[in-house]
Amino acid sequence: MNSWPGKLLRVDLTKGTWAVEDIDPELARAYIGGRGLGTKILCDEIDPQVDPLSPENKLIFMTGPLTGTGAPASARYMVITKSPLTGAIASSNSGGYFPAELRYAGFNAIIFEGKSKEPVSLYIKNGEVELRPTKHLWGKTTHETEDIIKGEIEDPWEAQETRIACIGPAGEKLGRIACIINDKHRAAGRSGVGAVMGSKKLKAVVVRGTQGIQAADFDLFKKSVRSAMQKLGSGPVTSEGLPAYGTAILVNIINECGILPTNNFQQGMFDRAGKISGESIAENILTRNKGCFACSIACARMTTIEDEKYKGHGEGPEYETVELMGADCGIDDLAPITKANYLCNEYGMDTISAACTVATAMELYEKGYIPADDAGMDLSFGNGEALVKLIEQMGVRKGLGKVAADGAYVLADTYGHPELFMGVKKQEIPAYDPRGVQGMGLTYATSNRGACHVRGYTIANEVLGVHEKLDPLITEGKAATVKVFQDLTALVDSSGLCLFVTLTPGFGFGDMQAMLKGATGFTYTVQEVTEASERIWNLERIFNLKAGFTKADDTLPKRLLEEPLPEGGPKGQVCRLDEMLPEYYELRGWDAEGVPTKEKLDKLGLS
Amino acid sequence: MKKILVDYTKCTGCRQCETACSAAHYEGETNPQKSRIRIFLDEAHDTFHPVISGPFTNAECTSKNVVNIGGTEYDECTVCRASCPGRPWFWEPETNIALKCDFCGDPPDPQCVAICAHGALQLIDDLGLGRARSQAKKKTAG
Repeated sequence: MNSWPGKLLRVDLTKGTWAVEDIDPELARAYIGGRGLGTKILCDEIDPQVDPLSPENKLIFMTGPLTGTGAPASARYMVITKSPLTGAIASSNSGGYFPAELRYAGFNAIIFEGKSKEPVSLYIKNGEVELRPTKHLWGKTTHETEDIIKGEIEDPWEAQETRIACIGPAGEKLGRIACIINDKHRAAGRSGVGAVMGSKKLKAVVVRGTQGIQAADFDLFKKSVRSAMQKLGSGPVTSEGLPAYGTAILVNIINECGILPTNNFQQGMFDRAGKISGESIAENILTRNKGCFACSIACARMTTIEDEKYKGHGEGPEYETVELMGADCGIDDLAPITKANYLCNEYGMDTISAACTVATAMELYEKGYIPADDAGMDLSFGNGEALVKLIEQMGVRKGLGKVAADGAYVLADTYGHPELFMGVKKQEIPAYDPRGVQGMGLTYATSNRGACHVRGYTIANEVLGVHEKLDPLITEGKAATVKVFQDLTALVDSSGLCLFVTLTPGFGFGDMQAMLKGATGFTYTVQEVTEASERIWNLERIFNLKAGFTKADDTLPKRLLEEPLPEGGPKGQVCRLDEMLPEYYELRGWDAEGVPTKEKLDKLGLS
Repeated sequence: MKKILVDYTKCTGCRQCETACSAAHYEGETNPQKSRIRIFLDEAHDTFHPVISGPFTNAECTSKNVVNIGGTEYDECTVCRASCPGRPWFWEPETNIALKCDFCGDPPDPQCVAICAHGALQLIDDLGLGRARSQAKKKTAG
């Protein structure tokens, strides 16, 4: 039986060998698990200056103490590595069934080192490990890979219960926005973690297990889970909004706030937003709501496109995808958007980065910076066909996709206009325009993995008013809001729960502490887990500083700092980052250059 | 007598029933393979089928039919509740003992029903199938 902290599997791909190790309980206690513990291991074992696609980089799959336990939304694992997209720390989160099955198979973490000569896949069944040459899977899409692997399993029951995480052609071809897909549709999406897996010639990780996970203090665990589930079941976002329309319920809400990125962040409102909204998805293409492991929210949408030209079936689009492939590319037709989403999953590409890259290509094209010969198609905003075609090219690195497969920064820079890249630390900005929601600007600028909405989702308060309603247009107090959201997120990401649990009124550090204590048996106090969350954030920051990042990288694209929004509620606004950043550094206990002070490091046990 | 009514059209495949069942029967061990309820995915139709372990049988049946539910055809094995030797999904991993739903709780308060957030599982009085359905409908309407 598997309890926390349990075992980790260390796989040396260069030698084709592996070893089973005990996870150090003291480290597990201090860094919780998942994102925190994975970051700690990475920081201890690699030089932050290393080339992300070299054998010296390591790829860490890390579950948390709550993964697979049946706690609400306990479906998640983290992939931690040095990002080839940003050069900063990467920690990408995914749900589905794979992470829980990894724990049932006997391991709480896998560390991949070195690089295999030939394509291989890792098979784990109840603690039995095998590294198999899988040349026949190389070149296959993520869906083909999963179907082939399951087809090779004789017993249909075993095949159903076997869970797979793999890369597609994008990861094999080292696309810097490639992701790792598990259970066909769930993605450890951002920062190019799929390219790191591709660089190691690792195609798939296949897990199956019948070992249980034992809660250390079942009475406390059960009580705290019940209490958290009650909160989830009564919060309007987690019990009504997300179950009814999925994450895409946000399209209309965000558009009304005037912060819906449109035409590569040139506008903040899209006049045809209704056509790509969650409501429209439900009415036109939805076949089924779906939940990740042990999640009552069930925000995932199974969809089918009947339109002959874009025919397909799969999961999505989610909010970020439908918004960025839709409004941000000026497209109002769900058929090509959804098709492009399916293709991203099949090729193994992050939908946020891929969509932003297409939007950037469209602006470059419209302004005449990409020659027609290079484009090879009409890349005007609003052209759904071009969206699908460019995504296809990016997936296999052909045509304009040769450059675009490495993301929007590389594309904009290649064509001489890096100012049209809408991102931070070379990672594309998700679907909220920070000019009309100031806290998100600070979140993007200070996120340790580059622009990201799930590193401090202040939309919860600034727009949705989940815990308290804040004015999105003021900067006052936002530094403190961002810090609390960032810290709570670090804790949730480390625990194995989905971030959506924090979209519940009253859900906070106390709930996390109770569930973690029940699951692990560590005598956590609320203060201890709160401090752990800060420790994790600071450790990521230290990794980035050692990798060469400075205060100058905590910024936003010029457009968002200087060009006012042209219409809507926040008309005339820019993101006033300079009003928030110094206060943020101070609250973090960092000096004016954004470097953690010795006093802070001492307090967190990081010196 | 109580029964658990399964409405597969409401199941989202989250498998929280599996975690609740095993934890309740094994003092806090979460292990789907020790659950008396399992979720089957029909990928072609995007449907999830909760199947609760029922009576033990000594042998695998020899006349497997195709079952038609809501216009879709399924292998009978997918929806059959029996714990038979042909079905490894209700066999406890270490011992190979066939598990059977025991309507846990006194009075019955099955943990799978208690945790299901989507109404796919309901505890009803066993009044015969037809009456049970209409009772469930009334409940939903009310």
